[in-house]
Amino acid sequence: MSWVKSVQYSGEDVFDEDADDINLQDKEWKYNMKKRVRDGYVDGIDHGKEASLQLGFNMGYREGAASTMAIGQLKGIISAIQCWCQLQRPDTPTPASVTDLLQRVVKHEDSLMEAMRTALENPIPSVSDVSENMEDLGVGEVESGCCGDGGCSKGSDCCRKDSDMDLGPILPQKPRLSFTLPTDPFTIIGESLEQLLQCCMDIVSELGLSQELIRHLQQLKSATE
Amino acid sequence: MAHKSEDLFDCILMADDRYHVEGYREGFDEGKRQGMIDGRKHGASHGAKLSMEVSFYYGFGITWKCLLQNNTDVKARKRLKALESLLGLIQKFPHEEPQYEHLQEDMEKVRAKFRQVCSLLNVPTDFSEYVKSGGSGGISF
Repeated sequence: MSWVKSVQYSGEDVFDEDADDINLQDKEWKYNMKKRVRDGYVDGIDHGKEASLQLGFNMGYREGAASTMAIGQLKGIISAIQCWCQLQRPDTPTPASVTDLLQRVVKHEDSLMEAMRTALENPIPSVSDVSENMEDLGVGEVESGCCGDGGCSKGSDCCRKDSDMDLGPILPQKPRLSFTLPTDPFTIIGESLEQLLQCCMDIVSELGLSQELIRHLQQLKSATE
Repeated sequence: MAHKSEDLFDCILMADDRYHVEGYREGFDEGKRQGMIDGRKHGASHGAKLSMEVSFYYGFGITWKCLLQNNTDVKARKRLKALESLLGLIQKFPHEEPQYEHLQEDMEKVRAKFRQVCSLLNVPTDFSEYVKSGGSGGISF
């Protein structure tokens, strides 16, 4: 009696034609409604992107521009010094300290661009991810200071900042993140820039060049601290 | 009877709309998130490159200004004048503002002024580094 098997398999009452129709209509209805949801979703994504692309671009542009100002100026300064050396003393080679610093500056610039690209490829994780990470890393240092004294009563996710904007800031000189990942590029680059500026000031002193230039470099250095 | 079937069709259309709207809202939020990320990435790249270039000219200009400050000969005065002009142009130019309508125009003026300054200083420059890749990879002087 194979028809018995087929009834059990399909789970439908073979003799109830109405039930058959209703079941089919029900499936068709569900299928159509799911399709409507999907279509809506696709439309929504397109419009959502359109709405925020320009906004995102403007935000990123300002951040990117701010992040390269100091290193760009430093590169210009050191290049000018190199030219000066070449023009003033054409018979002697440019001091190694100058060419060396220029190379380091270029390298720093490249890592900065790379760090920025990486940070924006992988936006800051959500708060729940962060609380797990903070526990793993045993991080306690926070700008607000509420976790400073022997633990915080509010728990590991109390010191989230920028949680409403889960993309996070990208200014390298002053990371506003309330936690530090072991491979946080911003802190590393921040220190490097100060060192490079200091090195430049030392060179300007050694070569006996303008005091005003040293003051300008000092200003740049203060701005990055 | 007619009244009843109208209700029935309304129900169907409303359900249809409702599902579409539900999907749309979710999609819109996701699209907004993606758009922000993409936009920010591209914006940052553009902003960083432009700022790098302009800041380079500024640092270069300010250094030469400091170095020539105490010279009083005619040549130095001419160079200083061009340097002041370059620095002034840059200071007035809101290059960090993406919506600035004269961004490209002013950028070209700054580049032209920089080239003039370099020729007055007898400094040979290769601009291809800045025009294409924002100054990475070293410069040639």
